[in-house]
Amino acid sequence: MKRAALLAAAGLLLLSGCYRVQKPAQAQTGAAGQATPVPRGDGKTLRIFIWSEYIDPDLVKAFEKANGVRVVLDTFESNEAMLAKLQGGGAQYDLAVPSNYVVQTMVRAGLLQPLDKSQIPNLKNIAPGFLNADYDPGNVYSVPYQYAATGLAFNRQRYVPRDTWAEIFGPDDRRSFVLLDDPREVIGAALKYLGFSANTTRVEELRAARDLLRRVVAKKGFQGFDGGPGTRNKLLAKTVDLGQIYVGDLLIATEEDENVQVLLPRQGTTISMDTLVVLKRSPNPELAHRFIDFILDGENGAQLSNYTYYATPNAAARSYLDDFLKDIPALNPPAAWLTDGRLDFIGELPGGRPQRLYDRIWTELKSR
Amino acid sequence: MIRRTHPALSVWAWLVYAFLYLPIVVLVVFSFNDSRFGATWAGFTTKWYGVLFARADVREALAHTLEIALLSTLVSTVLGTLVGLGLWRYTLRFRTALTGLLVLPIVVPDVVMGVSLLMFYSFVRQGLERTGWTFDNGFWTVLLAHVTFQISYVALTVRSRLAGYGPELEEAARDLGASGWESFRRIILPLAMPGVLAGALLAFTLSLDDFVVTYFTSGSGFSTLPVLIYTNVKRGVTPDINALSALLVLVTVVAIVAANALLRPRRDA
Repeated sequence: MKRAALLAAAGLLLLSGCYRVQKPAQAQTGAAGQATPVPRGDGKTLRIFIWSEYIDPDLVKAFEKANGVRVVLDTFESNEAMLAKLQGGGAQYDLAVPSNYVVQTMVRAGLLQPLDKSQIPNLKNIAPGFLNADYDPGNVYSVPYQYAATGLAFNRQRYVPRDTWAEIFGPDDRRSFVLLDDPREVIGAALKYLGFSANTTRVEELRAARDLLRRVVAKKGFQGFDGGPGTRNKLLAKTVDLGQIYVGDLLIATEEDENVQVLLPRQGTTISMDTLVVLKRSPNPELAHRFIDFILDGENGAQLSNYTYYATPNAAARSYLDDFLKDIPALNPPAAWLTDGRLDFIGELPGGRPQRLYDRIWTELKSR
Repeated sequence: MIRRTHPALSVWAWLVYAFLYLPIVVLVVFSFNDSRFGATWAGFTTKWYGVLFARADVREALAHTLEIALLSTLVSTVLGTLVGLGLWRYTLRFRTALTGLLVLPIVVPDVVMGVSLLMFYSFVRQGLERTGWTFDNGFWTVLLAHVTFQISYVALTVRSRLAGYGPELEEAARDLGASGWESFRRIILPLAMPGVLAGALLAFTLSLDDFVVTYFTSGSGFSTLPVLIYTNVKRGVTPDINALSALLVLVTVVAIVAANALLRPRRDA
C-alpha cells in the first residue's frame, strides 16, 4: 500500500509538469505525414536560440518594450549541439541563429517553416550580395543576421604581415602562427591560397590542399589549432606572429590593445553567415517575424555590429556603424569580392566522397 | 607501519598534482584580473564579481542550479539509500546484474545519457500528445535526469559503507526485541549514515557540475550555471564567468572534502 502511495506521489509530481495542449489554429503536417499539434504560444513570449554574446542586451530590451513582450535567450556553443537539441524536440523555440551551412540540413530535417516575406518589409535593407545565396536560394527559410570573414590577425608591435596567405602557407618558415580549430576554415584557406574554391569537391584540388597543409603543420612556426578566443589571447600577449581568426573575434580585442589588427588576404577567404530562421514548431511565428523585421532595421542592425564587432549584411546599417568599425577593411570587404569569387560562403558538402576527403585530411592534420 | 617513500616519487606526485590543479589556480587568479581578455595581467580587481552579481541571467541560472541540485539530491538520496540497503541486505538472484546496472550510469558517457534522455522525453511527449496533454522540457525533465545518474552514486556509497557488516547485526537487534523498523532506524541507518551523507554530497556536486545531461534535457528559458558557462566558450569567456567558475570550484571542493571526511573509516570501526 505504501508503494502505491509513493507511486501516486511520483506520478502527481510528474503530471504537474504537464499541461493541456491548446487546440492548434490549424493542424500542421509533420515530416512523417501525420498531424502533430503545434503548441500555440501566448503571443507574449519570444524564445530565441542563439550564440552567446551575439546580441546587444539593450536591443533585446528595446524590442521587449516596443512590443510589450518578453524575450527569452538561450545560448548554444556549436551548430551541431543546437541541431541535436532541436531535433530531439525538447525545447520550444521561435527563432534560431544557425550558420549558413546548416540551413539546408535543418530544412531537410523538417525543422524550419518558410518565411512570410510580407511580414518582413525590411528585407529590402539587405545588401544584394547576401541575398539569394546558395545555402538558401530565394531566402525561403532564412535571412542573413551577421557574418564573419576569416582573416589573418597580427599584433603590429610584433610583426606586420603582407596581405597574403603566403605568410602562413608560403615556404618562409620564420613566423609563428596559429590555425583555426575548424576543418572547413583550415582546408578552405589552403584552397583559397592555391586559387581554388573553398567548397571544392575536386579530388585533385583537395589533394593539392592536403599536400600543402602537410608541409604547413610540419613548419617550426606552427603553434597548433585554436579557437578564436585562444588565438586572440596569444596575439594580445604577443606570443605568436600570426593567427587565422574570425574577424569579429579579433576586433573585439582592439578595445584593449589597438595594436592587434586583422586583414583579409588578397587571394580571398571564407566567410560564414549566421542566419535567422523561424522554427516549424514555433509557438509564436508572428512575433518571430516581427523580431526578424526589427533586426533588419538599419539602426538596429548597426547596433548589433557595434556590440558584437561582427559584420552586418545590412546595407541600411552601414551609415550607423561606429566610425572605428567603418574604417576596418576586414569588416567591410569590397562589394566586388563577393561577386568575383574571392569570398566563399562555407557551403554544405555533398555527402559521400568529398565529405570523406575533407574528414580524412583533417584527421591526418590533427593526428600529425 | 610507516614506510618511507622514495623522494623522487613524492616529487613526481607533486608534479602530477600541479599539472592537475594549476589550471584551476590560474582560473581563480585571473578572475581578479583587471583585463577583459585575460591574456595579460592588468592589475588586481574584484570588479568581475560585482559584474557577475549584477547579471540577471546569472542569478536566474544560479537559482535553477541550486533548486535542481537540492531537490534532486534529496530524491536520489532517499531512493539510492534504499537501493544500497537492498543490495546489502538481500541475496538477490540477479545481484551481480543489478550492481552492474547501477554502475552503468557512472561509466556511460554523458553524451549518450543526455541524448538518450532527450529522445526518451520526446518519445513520451509524442505519446502524451495524442491524449491532448504535453509538457516542455525544463525543470522537471532536468530534475529526473539528474536523479537517474545520482541514484547510482548514492547506492554504491551506501552499499560500500555497509559492506563490512553482516546480516547478524540485524538479527541480533531482532533477538533483543527490536521491531523491523526499530532495528532499521537505530542500528542500520546510523551505521549507513556516513555513506548516505557522502553519497548525498557527491550527488549534490554532480548535479551542480553537470553540463551535458542538463544541456540536452533542459528546455527553452531554463539553463543552469554550467550550461551558461559552457555556451559562452565559443566567443570567449568573459572574466565575470571566470569569477563564477571560481565560485563553483569553491563550492565543489568544499562538498568533496566533506564527502571524503565522512567516508574515511573511523578508528573505532
